[in-house]
Parts: sequence; C-alpha cells; structure tokens
Amino acid sequence: MLRRIATPALLVVVLGLAVLVPWLGDYYVHVFALVFINVLLAASLRPSLTCGQLNIGHSAFMCVGAYASALLAKHFAVPFELSLLSGALLATVVGLAVGYPSLRLRGVYFAMVTVAFVEVVRLVAAIWVSLTRGNSGLSGIPKPNLLGMILTTKASQYYLIVFVTVVALVILWKLERSRLGLTWKSIGMADHLAQSLGVNIANYKLLAFMVGCFFAGVAGALYAHFIRFLFPPEFGFLVATNILVYNFVGGRDHFVGPIVGAVFLSLLSEPFRGSAYETIFFSIAMLLTILFLPGGLITLPGKLAGLRWGRAASAPTPSPTG
Amino acid sequence: MPLLETRDLSKHFDGLAAVNRVDLTVEEGEIVGLIGPNGAGKTTCFNLLSGFLRPTAGTIRFDGADITGLRSHRIVKRGLVRTFQHTTLFQEMTALENVLLGLHLHSRKGLGQVLFSRRPFPRAEIHHSREVLQFVGLSAHLDQPAKNLPHGHQRILGIAMALAARPRLLLLDEPVTGMNLDESGRVMALVKTIRDRGTTILLVEHNMKAVMGTCERIVVLNFGQKLAEGTPAEVSTNPNVIEAYLGAGLEHARG
Repeated sequence: MLRRIATPALLVVVLGLAVLVPWLGDYYVHVFALVFINVLLAASLRPSLTCGQLNIGHSAFMCVGAYASALLAKHFAVPFELSLLSGALLATVVGLAVGYPSLRLRGVYFAMVTVAFVEVVRLVAAIWVSLTRGNSGLSGIPKPNLLGMILTTKASQYYLIVFVTVVALVILWKLERSRLGLTWKSIGMADHLAQSLGVNIANYKLLAFMVGCFFAGVAGALYAHFIRFLFPPEFGFLVATNILVYNFVGGRDHFVGPIVGAVFLSLLSEPFRGSAYETIFFSIAMLLTILFLPGGLITLPGKLAGLRWGRAASAPTPSPTG
Repeated sequence: MPLLETRDLSKHFDGLAAVNRVDLTVEEGEIVGLIGPNGAGKTTCFNLLSGFLRPTAGTIRFDGADITGLRSHRIVKRGLVRTFQHTTLFQEMTALENVLLGLHLHSRKGLGQVLFSRRPFPRAEIHHSREVLQFVGLSAHLDQPAKNLPHGHQRILGIAMALAARPRLLLLDEPVTGMNLDESGRVMALVKTIRDRGTTILLVEHNMKAVMGTCERIVVLNFGQKLAEGTPAEVSTNPNVIEAYLGAGLEHARG
C-alpha cells in the first residue's frame, strides 16, 4: 500500500529536483547532464545483464552513436532528431554484427569479446583521421535543434537530455515488466529451462544486446551534441567498466538499481572526473559494494530497517559493527 | 502411425555408447515408462528426444515428421515438451510467472503489447496460467516465489510449466523423485488426468510402485540398449529384466 504511493511520489520529487538544476548555475547543468547520460547508459546495459551476459563493451556503442550523429549533423546538416536516431540505429546494427557471432560464448568469453570490441572501436575512431579527426578530437559539432529550433542555452540542452532519458527509461521499464523482460530474466536464471519451454535463447539474447546498443547510441548522440567535442579515449575500456559498475553498485535485482548507481557514483566521483583518482574511486566503490552490500545500494534501506527493527529479534546479519 | 518413433537411436560419448540403437515407439494416448538401472541411458534418451543432445546415429520421428537434430525450441514448438530430473524452476520468480513463461509459445509478443498496454500481460494469459495452476492444485501458491515452495510442489510446478506449453507428448524425467508415498500418489494421479485430457506421456522413474501402477507399457534400458518391452506384468516377470536390474526392487514393489 505504502509502495503504491511512495514510488510515484519519489518519481515526482526526483523529476522536480531535476527541473530545478539550471537555477544552480552552468556548472551544475553540465554535471547533471552527464549524470543523466550515465543513467541512460547504465539502464540500457540492464537487458543484457538480465540475460546473464557480462557486457563490458557498452561504451563502444555509445561511441558509434556519438560519432555517427555528430558527423551527420556537422557535414550534412541533418536535423538533431534524425541524427540521433541514425546514430542509435547504426549502434544497433553494429551491435547485431558483433552480437550475432559472439552470442554462443558464455560468461568470461563473451565479456572478452566485448572488451576487445571497445578497443577496436576506440582505435578506429583514433586512426580514421579523415573521418573522425582522430586523436585531435572532433570539434564543431552543432548544438541540438528541435523541430528546426536550435537549443542555444546549456539549460535547454540539459532539459532535452532529461526528456530523452526519461522517455528511454519509460521504454526500458515497459520492456522489462513485459513478457519480453520476463523471458530475458528466465534466460539469465536457467537458460536450458527457458529453452525447454520453446524460447529461442539465441534470438532473445541478441535482442537484449541490441536494445542496449540502441539506447547506448542514443546516449552517445546526446553526449556528442551537448559536449560538442568528441575524443576517442573518452570511449575507452574505463567508461565501459564504469557503466557495469553503476549496475553492480546500484543493484541488479531491480530496474532502479542502475539508475541509483549511476546517479550516486557520477555525483560522488565528480571531484575526480578525468583524473587518475576516478579509477581508484570506482574500484573502491565496487569493492565496498561486493563486501558489504552484495545486493547493491537499493538494498540499503531494507538493511537499515532490518538493523533497526531486527535488533530484538537478533536477525543473523553478519555486521562488522557488531 | 505412432506419435513418437525412434530408429537405431544412438549417442556415443568418446566411444562410450550411452544410448545404443534404441527403437522406441509411443502411440498417441499412451502412458509409457522408460526404466533401467542407473546409467542405462534414460536421461540421455530424453536429451536426444528433446533436442538437448544431437544423436550420433539414428532417427527420431514425431507426429510423422523427422525431428532428428532439430534445436530444442523447435521441437517444443511441434508439441514435444520435457521436464527435468532435478527440480528446475525459475527460483526467484513466482509460481504464476513460472507458468506464464511456460506459455511462451502461445503468447502475444508484439511491440504494441509491450509499449502501449497498461498491463504487462494480456488478461487471457494470466487467466490461462491460473487455470493451469488450479488444474495441478497449486492455485493457493501462485504469488509465492518458486524457491519457497516445498519440494513436492516445486516438482508439480515444473510439470505445470511444461503443460502450459501445450504438449502433445510430455516427457517427464523422474516426476516423483524425493516424494513421500502420499505425494507421489497424487502426482501419478495427476499424470493420468493429464493423459486423459489428451496428452501422451513418456516418463522416466525409479519409483517402481509409481511406474507399475501408472504406465500401460514399459521399456527397459540396460547399458544403453533396449532390454525388454511390454506391459508392467510382462516386464516384471521377464527373467532378463529381473536379472539385470529389478530383482529386489521388484519384490519390494509387489509388497
């Protein structure tokens, strides 16, 4: 009963706060725009993870979406709506090309393919200088426009990112709670059982992977037109692991897990952004989560409540505070 | 024409013949038992029939069509559905969700259903899943996570999921293992009801009392080969069978 009211109320509060961000100043607009992009990346990795695929290559598809959308807009003056969609679709097609042959690989082997692919994409972006300007970086990416109107202020671009992210999250949520999501979950839990009920697990895994690639492409396009400068190393292995870490730290048993993880870690790591400390920070966050909150941050409220109410009942929770 | 017919069905693992030239037929509407000592090749047989393993040689015909070497989800589509020896469920999901997954082949999967419907599942699918759970006697537990169900109920839920896939031939791998007398009696009664509702049944089981009491025909495997075949009375008096495997177990079953 409480949950019925609590969830929508929480949503309204969070969105309300998101709307208020531009009043804090341009710095916060920048920070929170990146937070929302990270949320989208984290949430879009979830279908793959639900199927039991350890995908450490998500930033590659973000990269494809970012460069495709940026180049289309820059060289062919393609409107933003169309360039974003093209970027996302190209990321999906690339996802199909990578996913189809590597689908039969399990666990670590699949993860290794995705890791390798991140490097391939990064290197292509770095070496194909005539197209991407390589490691000098691609600049002069047009600002996003909507229905022909150019969004000149950072605040309006931020709102665009919030809007697209929210729409994407709604779609991902709908997918997850539908039969499709349940089927993905069933493959992650016991793939041979799913198979014995007639599920073509190869196709469903591929679909989960491609859905993730699509939204990673969307996130990439949003990023490209907001930062307006693309630099291959920013789509490397570390970004891909960060996306995975958002999922683990936030919690993998619920849709809000990656969202919480992305918001929490992006904000907390903000002082270290771009420095070597960022990696250390993410490693420590991951370690602490595995050690003390295996279910992720989303299990924290429940654990705290358990400590409070469970003291008399002496619940067998291994707590270091003893 | 038999519903299921294998010819010279064989499976070799590195030279070991786990299943060796087995001819097996199952007529529509039968309850057939597949028995044999441990390692006789029963489960390998099931894995071959359901497409989880590819036969080394031989053919499998189901409903007149050759299904040898088809992938398992294609075989399910033709109406040949199996359960597993070890309790296999989607442990973290509710009983209802488990059965909903069993409906996979008979569900609506359009994008419109996913994106624009307020309900995650069409009402008809929920209704049908509830009916299946009611039929097997689990309707009181439909919102419980599968892992919280007692062992007997978990096994029955496994059967319910397979039923939701609307099999024409249901392969049950040790459906009453680990059950007490009362529970196994209820499951075997359920098996008979399932057959009476039009599903042919082939089952592997170690519990001789259950097998002898339920099956109309029994096939005995030993060392991957067919040793005997016949009615429970014929099989249980066959000297080869008694020598190979039944022996004390049969005396015990006769009481």
